[in-house]
Amino acid sequence: MGNSLDFSWLGDAIKLIGTGAAMTILLVVVTAFLGTLLSILGALGRTSRYPMIRRIVKAYVELIRNTPFLAQLFFIFFGLPSLGIRLNPIVAAILAMTINLAAYGTEIVAAGLAAVPTGQREAAQALGLRPRLVFVKIVLPQALKIIFPALTSQIVIMMLESAVVSQISVRELTYEADLLQARTFLAFETYLVVTLVYLGLSVALRRLMFAGGSKFIFSGQP
Amino acid sequence: MTKFSTLRLTGLAVAALVCGLAFGAAARADALDDITKAGVLKVGVFGDFPPFSSVTSDMSLQGYDIDVAKIVADALKVKLQLVTVTGQNRIPYLTERRADILLSVGHSAEREKVIDFTAAYAPYYIAVIGPKALKVQDKGDLAGKSIAVNRGTLEDTSLTEAAASGADIKRFDNYNAVIQSFLAGQVQLMVVGNDVGAGVLARQVATQPEQKFQLMTSPDHIGLNKNEPRLKQALNDVIAKMLADGTMNTISTKWLNRPLDLKDLKSNGQ
Amino acid sequence: MEFTLWDILRNLLLAARWTVLLSLVAFAGGGIAGLFVLLLRISKRPWLRRAAEMYIGAFQGTPLLMQLFLVFFGLPLLGFRIEAWTAAVVSLTLFASAFLAEIWRGGVEAVPRGQWEAAASLGLHRIRQLRLVVLPQALTIARAPTVGFLVQLVKSTALTSIIGFDELLRTSNAINNATFQPFTVYGLGALIYFCLCFPLTQYARMLERSTVIPK
Repeated sequence: MGNSLDFSWLGDAIKLIGTGAAMTILLVVVTAFLGTLLSILGALGRTSRYPMIRRIVKAYVELIRNTPFLAQLFFIFFGLPSLGIRLNPIVAAILAMTINLAAYGTEIVAAGLAAVPTGQREAAQALGLRPRLVFVKIVLPQALKIIFPALTSQIVIMMLESAVVSQISVRELTYEADLLQARTFLAFETYLVVTLVYLGLSVALRRLMFAGGSKFIFSGQP
Repeated sequence: MTKFSTLRLTGLAVAALVCGLAFGAAARADALDDITKAGVLKVGVFGDFPPFSSVTSDMSLQGYDIDVAKIVADALKVKLQLVTVTGQNRIPYLTERRADILLSVGHSAEREKVIDFTAAYAPYYIAVIGPKALKVQDKGDLAGKSIAVNRGTLEDTSLTEAAASGADIKRFDNYNAVIQSFLAGQVQLMVVGNDVGAGVLARQVATQPEQKFQLMTSPDHIGLNKNEPRLKQALNDVIAKMLADGTMNTISTKWLNRPLDLKDLKSNGQ
Repeated sequence: MEFTLWDILRNLLLAARWTVLLSLVAFAGGGIAGLFVLLLRISKRPWLRRAAEMYIGAFQGTPLLMQLFLVFFGLPLLGFRIEAWTAAVVSLTLFASAFLAEIWRGGVEAVPRGQWEAAASLGLHRIRQLRLVVLPQALTIARAPTVGFLVQLVKSTALTSIIGFDELLRTSNAINNATFQPFTVYGLGALIYFCLCFPLTQYARMLERSTVIPK
């Protein structure tokens, strides 16, 4: 361990870092999609007519938001099997990440739904549209547009949190970094490079989401 | 400030610097002296590695390694301080002198570049463990199976070599995760020391796990920093004494349920 | 080695003390450092602002786990001894300073321009304007997200288990390995985290409701 940093291992490591980053991206994409869906369901549940549903959603949100993600991950991976539910590491990771993202997403989407002027709903219903159509075609897109920045932030946060799923042997970016440094004994250099990769990914993700969002979600809306 | 007091200040500063350097240099002189002077021997052990070291219900440590550590500390006439380590941080802990010695270290050429080893003091066979119903008789049967192992350990390197391609090796950060994922059924097999596995086997898990075959023998040595000949000699003396007067045998019977066979302390091909 | 339910709970509670201690130390340290970063962030000089922006961006754009590893493996390169507690405190303090600076910047920006001008007309120069007039108001406005961040900090301490710090989650792992009862052990562990965080979350909500943001 000298006093200067050693990056000679980088050339051979690019492939491992690449596959790790690809897995991280896969996890985030799937989680963002499923998590947003679950958030919409959760937001609906929060304003449901039935008190029981409202209470269940509230309990779920509070439970997830007040416990560490790593503990939730361990519970799903090591604890659930004793109930007979055995999920492989990638599925367990996506499940944990989705449940976690949706706990925050529920609040965000609910705020967005509440922010859509009631006039919109009334106008649509006056036009004879059925409630479900009103929701999907009129209310939801406007809500998503309002909360898009907040949702994007939450997804980026989830991507950064995904580093811990290496603990249940998912072969994403952090796992590959752990492997590399176990071989080379150059822990600081390895993690420095990988941290920069994460930084790049988070910046890229944010830009991508804003570019994609304005194209697909906001089309047709002022 | 007058010229005289600036001079005095500079003089003090230089003196302090020289003292600091001298002290720093002296601190690097000899680990055995440091240990004796400090009156404490810091021993790095795993916290989740029964029967070598694991926690009791009041979170203190017990096991083969703990007993050995106590005797070594007594022989050096200092107090014992146990430091729990993980596979990832234990070598840095040693080289940065957060621990004076490490226990349960298997020998490898790569490690030899960074640290030094004493003679072997405990047997350690690396074994593949799996449910009774799963047929695994040799390396070839490892293909297509999911196997848990502690990353960066000799179990990891020997498994990676033996399994070549086709085995789904899942590496975890610590023994706890390896054992838990095996017990939870998240992996089909696990590779740990056979005595560590024995603890698991004794738990009467429904799948009736058993030892399938041994990958290699890798007896445990004490790890210490390089260029510490006096410390190494002192440690080797203690180990030799424990082997000769039967103490090690007692410890082996207590924790491994069998007397110590000196053949077990020889590694194959190393 | 047999653990009773009480053994498990007792050991988890003892370990939770470290979680609490680490959270408080990082919050206090991060608060002090965060004020400093805040001053840079709202400085009149562009290059100071930029430096603070990059500092905040670095901590908000990278995983906390990576930050912990960098501090843990980087400390020896700076001549310090490698140590889980030190690395945990340093890393979480830096992490907190970046997030708190950003939260408080939001508070500063919510203070009406008129307050700055009024303070200036009293003959106070910028630092004093900030210290005596604007900052107290900014911090009051930002009370709720500040407490909210403390919750995040408590949860973040769980990651220090990975670098070997013996807090609640690491102890849960150790007990789990000695008892093979993951459901009970992780369940109790999660419950303790919940009991630490939930009251703070509720307090933050209460603060949010009672905070008036000046128009």
